Amino acid sequence: MNTASHDPRALLRKTAMTVLTTFIIVLCVAPFLLVLAISFGRKVEGAAWVWDFTFANYQRFFVGTLWPDEVTFLYLQQLSYSFYFALIASIFAVLTALPFTLTLSKLSRNAQAAWLVFIMSSLSLSEVFIVMGWDILLSNNSGLPKLFRETGLTQWLKDVGWFQTLRDWGLANPRNVKFKTSDFATVLTMSYLVWPYAVILLYPALSRLDPSLSEAARTMGAGRWTITRTVTLPSIRLPLLGTTLLLFVFLLGTYVAVTVFAAPHKQTVAVAIYSNVRGSNLNAPFGSAQAIMLLISASFCLYLGHLLNKKAEAP
Amino acid sequence: MHDLVLKGVSKSFGNTVAVEPIDLTFGKGQLTALLGPSGCGKTTLLRMLAGLEEPTIGQITLGGEDITFKRAHKRKFGMVFQSFALFPHYTVRENVAYSLTISGVAKDIAFAKADELLNTVQLGGFGDRRIGQLSGGQRQRVAIARALAQEPKVFLLDEPMSALDAKLREEMQVELRMLQQSLGITTIVVTHDQREAMTMADKIVVMSNGRVEQVAPPQEIYHKPANAFVADFIGKTNFFDGVFENGKVQIGQTILDCDAGFIEGSDIRVAIRPEQIYIDTAPDVNRISADVTFVRDLGPVQEYHLNSEIGPLIVEYAAGEDLANKPIMGQKTTVRLPPDALQVFPREPRP
Repeated sequence: MNTASHDPRALLRKTAMTVLTTFIIVLCVAPFLLVLAISFGRKVEGAAWVWDFTFANYQRFFVGTLWPDEVTFLYLQQLSYSFYFALIASIFAVLTALPFTLTLSKLSRNAQAAWLVFIMSSLSLSEVFIVMGWDILLSNNSGLPKLFRETGLTQWLKDVGWFQTLRDWGLANPRNVKFKTSDFATVLTMSYLVWPYAVILLYPALSRLDPSLSEAARTMGAGRWTITRTVTLPSIRLPLLGTTLLLFVFLLGTYVAVTVFAAPHKQTVAVAIYSNVRGSNLNAPFGSAQAIMLLISASFCLYLGHLLNKKAEAP
Repeated sequence: MHDLVLKGVSKSFGNTVAVEPIDLTFGKGQLTALLGPSGCGKTTLLRMLAGLEEPTIGQITLGGEDITFKRAHKRKFGMVFQSFALFPHYTVRENVAYSLTISGVAKDIAFAKADELLNTVQLGGFGDRRIGQLSGGQRQRVAIARALAQEPKVFLLDEPMSALDAKLREEMQVELRMLQQSLGITTIVVTHDQREAMTMADKIVVMSNGRVEQVAPPQEIYHKPANAFVADFIGKTNFFDGVFENGKVQIGQTILDCDAGFIEGSDIRVAIRPEQIYIDTAPDVNRISADVTFVRDLGPVQEYHLNSEIGPLIVEYAAGEDLANKPIMGQKTTVRLPPDALQVFPREPRP
């Protein structure tokens, strides 16, 4: 006789596991499988789409619809812009969050708690709300460009010859500085979106950093920069890598910031997916194929990060 | 002379005085132990010497040069931290060569010097290992080698043995002392372990509540403690409170001869080491009756716990020491307290 089957605790554990598994299947696996199935569907021109099993959507993603007569890399280019913006924004967010978090970890316990509460509360702001704020701040007729013009900063930039450099970088038109649309504004807003996450993810590692390591380096003749370069950064390389990777994957899906600030020819996969699935194209199978490719790319990056972590951890 | 001299050095954190004004001289080539209980200010004093803390007042000089406000990385005293503070992302060799590589010494020369130092601390062949692959004792040796790599004028160690087990600690105390003597480097060790201080130091600085209580060689600290705190902190001591009357010590109804001078009627505290009390019946001064309450043989010593007319006391006899008619538990006996063994201190309430 199996006594385990009569044990109420074992029964409860089994029920909880069943509920949890069902929950995961319904909420996570099922939508993914649905997207995967739709990605093999077929768009009916002038109508909606139908279930099918064709690789045409994936072929279109890699080489365009006219293959083999003509090859276009439009969608791969969108994927590359997804990577481009996400990579720069995540690195920028981590680089700016690092000195702040390092300073934060040296404050008194009360000050640290106050800052962390403030930073966490900023997470309640939605992407739409944040982008709207930056949109106003960076718009050409108000915000920073207007401030530049009114304070004479634009004229000063012209006088010293730096205005042309800004124009070369796409940050100015003939009359004034402009941030919309630009890579600068896109990256800045995307970094702002994930900056609180960067602080929260870096904080545990930095607050646990043994101060005697940098003190030991000081007694051996190391100045501040040498300590940062040879002791602090190598000591936190794993949290730094992990945080950058997490923010990078998170930013691959950024939609609103890219829509508002990126130039039309630099739109990302996330924007294209929306436009196919919910927008004017009504091509859910191709949107799903793009989503699957984005997911595979993100998974590959996470795996790469895992390999780097293992290499860094190796004795 | 390259003496390290402290003149009126003090450190406060806000309203809290961590170290009261101190005058000290650390002789060139000597090993000095800063000894005291936790929170007595010894680590703060060491950190001021290393340049990791600035004194609130006072002056620190090395060989006549004022180094009071010289930054730690300019001072370059070798320091071993309590946690060893080895860099986990470097190999053993890279750790030891750290001070040389950051100062621009060519890598092959720095590594050759590191290997030489690793041989000195008996870790030859460990250069390629990671810190995580070393035992506590090996880590301590790496920390010592690393601190010595820059050939410091002063070598500082903050509780270097506290992370080691008792047996290894004893071995390392001897090894460290031998290494220090062979290098002839001015060394300052912070410890709360009086045995460690007695084993290694040429001179001990006993500290309490941010104050220096006594500065003397180990034997003098043990046999001639400056006050009741030092007598209590160093080794075992029997204490009795009494009054100084007619040139003698009066404890309750018992009057004992002593070699001390105090104002008549002063409240005093009397201390005597367990090994300086004798259990015998020979006629002499300072003889008191006692009951044996407990006896234990610790191997190197035999310990007798007695309940005497002046209070409980402990007597120790070293193994092999002649003790006729060894008393047993419950037996009545007499003990003798030689007048010259009685340490008499003023009984003052400590602030």
